[in-house]
Amino acid sequence: MAIYSFWIFDRHCNCIFDREWTLKSNQSSGTTNSKQNEDTAKLLYGMIFSLRSISQKLSGEGSHNEIRTISTGKYRAHILCTASGLWFVLLSDLKQEDLSHVLRYLYSEIYVKTVVHNWFSPVDFAESDSEKRGQGVRKIRNRSFLANVERFLGPMVN
Amino acid sequence: MVDSGLASEVNEHQRLQLQFQLFQESLPKVDETVYRMLLNEAVPLAIGVERSLNHLEEDSTDQLETDLNSKLTFESQELGASHKLLQEYMTADQDQQIRINTRLENIGFQLGQKLSQLLIFSNNPNLSFKDMDLLSVMKFVCRDVWKQVFGKQIDNLKTNHRGTFYLLDYNYKPIESFTLEEDLSDQEQKMMEPFLHVPCGMIRGVLASLGFEKEDQVTCQATLVEAPDSKQAGASAFAKSVSFNVQVLVER
Repeated sequence: MAIYSFWIFDRHCNCIFDREWTLKSNQSSGTTNSKQNEDTAKLLYGMIFSLRSISQKLSGEGSHNEIRTISTGKYRAHILCTASGLWFVLLSDLKQEDLSHVLRYLYSEIYVKTVVHNWFSPVDFAESDSEKRGQGVRKIRNRSFLANVERFLGPMVN
Repeated sequence: MVDSGLASEVNEHQRLQLQFQLFQESLPKVDETVYRMLLNEAVPLAIGVERSLNHLEEDSTDQLETDLNSKLTFESQELGASHKLLQEYMTADQDQQIRINTRLENIGFQLGQKLSQLLIFSNNPNLSFKDMDLLSVMKFVCRDVWKQVFGKQIDNLKTNHRGTFYLLDYNYKPIESFTLEEDLSDQEQKMMEPFLHVPCGMIRGVLASLGFEKEDQVTCQATLVEAPDSKQAGASAFAKSVSFNVQVLVER
């Protein structure tokens, strides 16, 4: 099992969390919420956004069709879109067919428990109108969320 | 003969189980998450009310202008998100913090008073309160009240038999998932403070409804403490343990 990175986007098109592992051998390597990844985040968002709208167009009127995975020559992206507009994206190698259960766990057990139930943490990460158009740079930084993500995804890195 | 005896025993057991299940199903139920969130939301509520009152006082000097302003804008109604209100508690001055905490204790007090009525008369007809001493009343708080409100019992009850009690809860449920960023532990503890005033008021309320109702007879304070078994886990696994110190003055 190998995963490369994990991203969360909110409904204002902002990337609110990113975690990228650089070394397979080292679970704690790589970057968390780094500024360098901003452009990558935008590209990833754009790719998912357009493929998502294509898949919805091709499914015909009325029926709902959510994109789940995107495979390229080098990696596979697993996507979970929630009704509240959050996107959970996990990049893995091509051996992973379906990681939707992992994404669902990340959402229901980690995000909900450490961000939604955490009264000290905002639920909507765009604070002013100027941040609601994709320009926001706020990230999830609370300690228990970071620790839980690390504990859960760490063993899957290599 | 033996077979039929065994069968009837199983049936008896099954019957009891079924009865228990039916009883459980007949109990009134409400979603736990929503109820917990509502209980937590009392804190931002109190801070918000305090803030609105403050604004009102400031504005009363300029009555006409406020009237006009409130008609022209929605700002006076806008309170902001809960986590912002909690941040505001951090920056509020001491008087304001005390007023917020009193407000929260009163909410808890009301809750406790009503809760004990519910627990005594609808859930627990066997409990007799007539010849109850202080210790069994505190046990009632630890077992039944805590079980009803937080879904678990108090972990440890200590007393000196002269009216001082220490109630230790090693994992206080409402603040279980509250964390800030990595290195702000002091601020984190400070922000958790108002959340502890609700159960304090609740303990006082329960005691008041059970006969300890004179003013200043019962004082209750809560502090965050380190759990005994969290020391080896280190500071990163900061356990949310709360110690409630209850003082009851009993005249002889």
